[in-house]
Amino acid sequence: MIPHLSRQLALVLCIAAVTACRGTDASPTGGILVVSAGADAETLFPPLVAGSQGRVVTELLYDKLADVGPALNTFGDVGFVPKLARSWEWSRDSLTVTFHLDPRARWHDGQPVTARDVQYAFRVWTDSAVGAVQRAALATVDSVSVPDPRTARVHFRERTPEQFYAFTYTLIPLPAHLLASLPDTALRDAPQMRSPVGSGPFRFVSWTPRTRLELSANAAYFAGRPRVDGVVFLFAAQGATVAARLLAGEADFVEQLSPPDFAQLPQDGAVRAQPYGGFDYTFLLFNQYDARDAGRPHSIFVDRALRRALTAAIDRTTIVRSVFDSLARPAIGPFSRTQWTADTTLTGIAFDPSTATRMLDSLGWRDANHDGVRERDGRPLAFSVLVPASSRPRQAAAVLLQAQFKAVGVAMTIEQTDFNAFLDRARRGAFDAMVSGVRTSPSPRGVQDWWGTPGPDRGAQNWGRWSNAEFDAQLDSALAASRVEDARAHIRAAYQAAVNDAPAIWLYEPLFFAGMHRRLTVGALRPDAWWSGVADWSIDPAQRLPRDRRAPATP
Amino acid sequence: MTRQLVARLLHAIAVCAVVATSVFVLLQFAPGDPFATALDGADVPPSVRAEGRARYGFDLPPGERFARWTGALVRGELGYSASRHRAVADVVGDALPRTLLLVGVALVLGFAAGVGIALVQTRHHRRWQDRLFGVLTLGGVAMPEFLVALLAMTWLGARWRLFPVAGIGSLGDAAAWPVWERIVDLLWHLALPAGALALAVASRVARHQRAALLGVMREDYIRTARAKGLGEWNVIVRHALPNAIGPVIALLGLALPSLVGGAVLIERIFGWPGMGLTLFDALLARDYPLILAAVLLATLLAVVARTVTEAVAEFVVPRRAREP
Amino acid sequence: MAANAWRQLLDDRGARAAIGVLGAAVLAAAFAPWIAPYDPTLQPDPVALRLVAPSWQHPFGTDPFSRDVLSRVLHGARVSLGVATGAMLLSVTLGAALGALAAVVGGWVDGVVSGLVDVLIAMPRLLIVIALVATFGTLSPWWLIALIGGSGWLTTARIVRAEFRDHLQREYVLAARALGASRWRIIWHHLLPAVAPQLAVAAALALAAVIPLEAALSFVGLGIQPPLPSWGNILLDGTDYLTSAWWLVVFPVAAVSLTVGSALVLADRLRVAIAGEEHGP
Repeated sequence: MIPHLSRQLALVLCIAAVTACRGTDASPTGGILVVSAGADAETLFPPLVAGSQGRVVTELLYDKLADVGPALNTFGDVGFVPKLARSWEWSRDSLTVTFHLDPRARWHDGQPVTARDVQYAFRVWTDSAVGAVQRAALATVDSVSVPDPRTARVHFRERTPEQFYAFTYTLIPLPAHLLASLPDTALRDAPQMRSPVGSGPFRFVSWTPRTRLELSANAAYFAGRPRVDGVVFLFAAQGATVAARLLAGEADFVEQLSPPDFAQLPQDGAVRAQPYGGFDYTFLLFNQYDARDAGRPHSIFVDRALRRALTAAIDRTTIVRSVFDSLARPAIGPFSRTQWTADTTLTGIAFDPSTATRMLDSLGWRDANHDGVRERDGRPLAFSVLVPASSRPRQAAAVLLQAQFKAVGVAMTIEQTDFNAFLDRARRGAFDAMVSGVRTSPSPRGVQDWWGTPGPDRGAQNWGRWSNAEFDAQLDSALAASRVEDARAHIRAAYQAAVNDAPAIWLYEPLFFAGMHRRLTVGALRPDAWWSGVADWSIDPAQRLPRDRRAPATP
Repeated sequence: MTRQLVARLLHAIAVCAVVATSVFVLLQFAPGDPFATALDGADVPPSVRAEGRARYGFDLPPGERFARWTGALVRGELGYSASRHRAVADVVGDALPRTLLLVGVALVLGFAAGVGIALVQTRHHRRWQDRLFGVLTLGGVAMPEFLVALLAMTWLGARWRLFPVAGIGSLGDAAAWPVWERIVDLLWHLALPAGALALAVASRVARHQRAALLGVMREDYIRTARAKGLGEWNVIVRHALPNAIGPVIALLGLALPSLVGGAVLIERIFGWPGMGLTLFDALLARDYPLILAAVLLATLLAVVARTVTEAVAEFVVPRRAREP
Repeated sequence: MAANAWRQLLDDRGARAAIGVLGAAVLAAAFAPWIAPYDPTLQPDPVALRLVAPSWQHPFGTDPFSRDVLSRVLHGARVSLGVATGAMLLSVTLGAALGALAAVVGGWVDGVVSGLVDVLIAMPRLLIVIALVATFGTLSPWWLIALIGGSGWLTTARIVRAEFRDHLQREYVLAARALGASRWRIIWHHLLPAVAPQLAVAAALALAAVIPLEAALSFVGLGIQPPLPSWGNILLDGTDYLTSAWWLVVFPVAAVSLTVGSALVLADRLRVAIAGEEHGP
């Protein structure tokens, strides 16, 4: 749904939208929610946040103007939930959106949230001296003007279906009254960013990096005080330790349980697992170019028929069941099932070893010397697969892939490297193939980054440098489509083109299971942001623990 | 004495300079990027990464970077850690006391237990006590350290809940607690990591101490002491131990610096963010200023530790010191 | 004179047991392809037969990929012991050479070697190897031998240097020198045999240090690459299932501990034998 066609409808929706207020049954329950996490936030300065833990904390501390709804739609503004902005309206040409801030919204120091804060945040986000990570997402925004303190007007350079999403999902209003006096270059190290003053449901209490981060309930939160008294994040780098904290009862919540963790869940039901979709998909990516000479096509993978044959040789169901049991699904294409653009009806390349064998034979790859490896013109059908040492599931998948390839006479070697070297080689194209994973966002735009023909406007993460004109064209049409149905049709065509061309073997989509203590009650968890409803989570007062009394001190 | 001290100091500076240079050179060959993992978002354009590199001077030629870095070092500045968005001095300032505490407690515990075990073994040489501890200490050395830590965390921590699984303190505002409560809480959290580390230290110390004691027990003056009618314990503790403990102290002094960074897996498993883990993370993040600072610190500690242990060994064992 | 020490060693029960265990491990490694019941990389059914507890069919159970753990431990001995032996030989040779060089040449060479030892001994070896692995990318076993061996020569160099300096002052060396023996002849025919027992101790200790190092490296994901089994990477698979599949931990750990323990016992007894010889009976 594109704004300029459905403006009236959108307006009606906005006016009808109720502010995110808690119902009568949402009284505070007290208790401290303890979250066990693997990685700490690297910074609490929103523009510089890149990792997921940083997002968790900053989005509990700061409210956005509006947030995507449970349906995770990213086109137009359908389903968006008001946050700091109570309502908004579009101009006739859809190039301007006027946000009306909630007059009750306050910074944690009691100052009202004003339109100037939005304007200031926009300036910070787009200042290259700051180096905001998501600056590109705001490229279509021209400026933010302030007609009055309660009204922020956002002027766009061009109309795009996702302009509203891009702006509200990226930009977090910042407290101009505290920060504007600092030069932009000093912001990243400003003491204000070590003890941030936000606008969200939780206030900052303390942070000991890589150890613990404490937040307390914001009693003055305009949409109602959170039900728990506070949130504490405990960090540990070792995956086993993260889960052990939950199992030991030292933590109430773990963002993601790994398959081995499930074997450890206690029989008494003290800990349960709750699924919430998942936004990741993992694949074996073929490099279209030579690992050593980036200008030369890859001697094996340049052949589409061979890529398809290799795909047919892989039994993804077995890989998924062996590595994840029932905690993942075979991937379909360059997307995750949780995205609204997902399409489960595509025609994939089925697992069929006999077809794979026949195809390889007909392509001239035969095992003439009977060493178990096929060859053609004296060159063996062998390649190396890069795997990051940080990911156990990907390592396991690689081991299974290796055995399955071996069964059809393909020699695959595994190269595990630390994640930094992995990324470095990925970016330089110095690999034959790699087990790569993508964390998608609700928007389909990321698809362009990962799979679009590398160029100035797309393909930044297209490490295999796969290029397909049909795919690019259909995706362009989809992202410019004026109706959701048209967008879907184009995206489906693009995805089908990708699946047919086999730039990668689509392996699996992990299902995320949050682990939680039985005293904790949570609503539905949003797949892209499990933390979005923490203010509504509750802890059974009958199951208080001694640690709940040790509330994080309010500063 | 002063001349010796000055010579030592010069030697220490030379050592540090060599380390700094060689680590810097080595890092030039490491593939990767200080911003690779920090800026891994799907839509981080290469231009933003380039800006980041320029901001911290990573785009300069290596020679100039080295000059800048050493210049800052001479002025006492350790630089800025891009992977943590903090000054290196702050990062190290957080991590070093934690490691010193962990390693210090583990060393004291391990040393005491190890010497104790060795004394018992010597007293009951070739009897079942000797053999039992012999097998146990051998196992303590032979078992991979990270496995001991994992087992302790899984069973003593998560299953039986005898000790905290991980972390450096309980929830709440520690600053508001009475001092004794803070100390108890700290020791409570130290139990598993320090215990796991102490197990390894105790096993090594016991094995060395036992060998040293048995060597001394053959000496003439021990026979003299026995002939004077002293009890066997008395002979071992009063006469044999002071002459056998020197090499063990020297061994500890040599072990200390590598323990400071070498407890990395224990620190990782027990969520104890000390120097080992900091250096490990910095290596993976290619956080050059942090790596260099941590390595230099370890070198410095090594020099200090050696000087101190030499002094202690001289103090404890005056007889040995006079020997050629 | 060293022959006495060797004989005394063989008279010792503990030493004989240690030699027995090490010998068994070496035999297992050498004959793994013939005694292992299965191909260590064979995955019969990674869904139905994964993590099967020990049985007659699989005496050590199966791993998460349905591979036979007994076969993997036997083949793992090849890799783990191979890497350990290679690294041990390299580090002892390097250590002996550098230590000897420092002692015999003296002067600035001695300064450089001693300085290097002083510096490197302060660095945790695991982190050094991790840094090198990260620098050179993924490792073949040969590279691993080079890196681990290259980082482990310090103590040997120290011992050899001290022993050489000691022996260089002794009468028999002075006499040989007076008789016009060349420096290299003295080193080769007098000094090296004299320090051989110490070198043997250093070698045993180096072996004991390298095997856990390989395991630790696997634990952080930078060890021997699959599908090649090593005790370290079998153990890594086991750490994921610490509470649910004990056989994945117990057997590789037993292999590691027995080997390391034997090497340590051997080093001990060797040392006692040398000391006994020096002190006289």
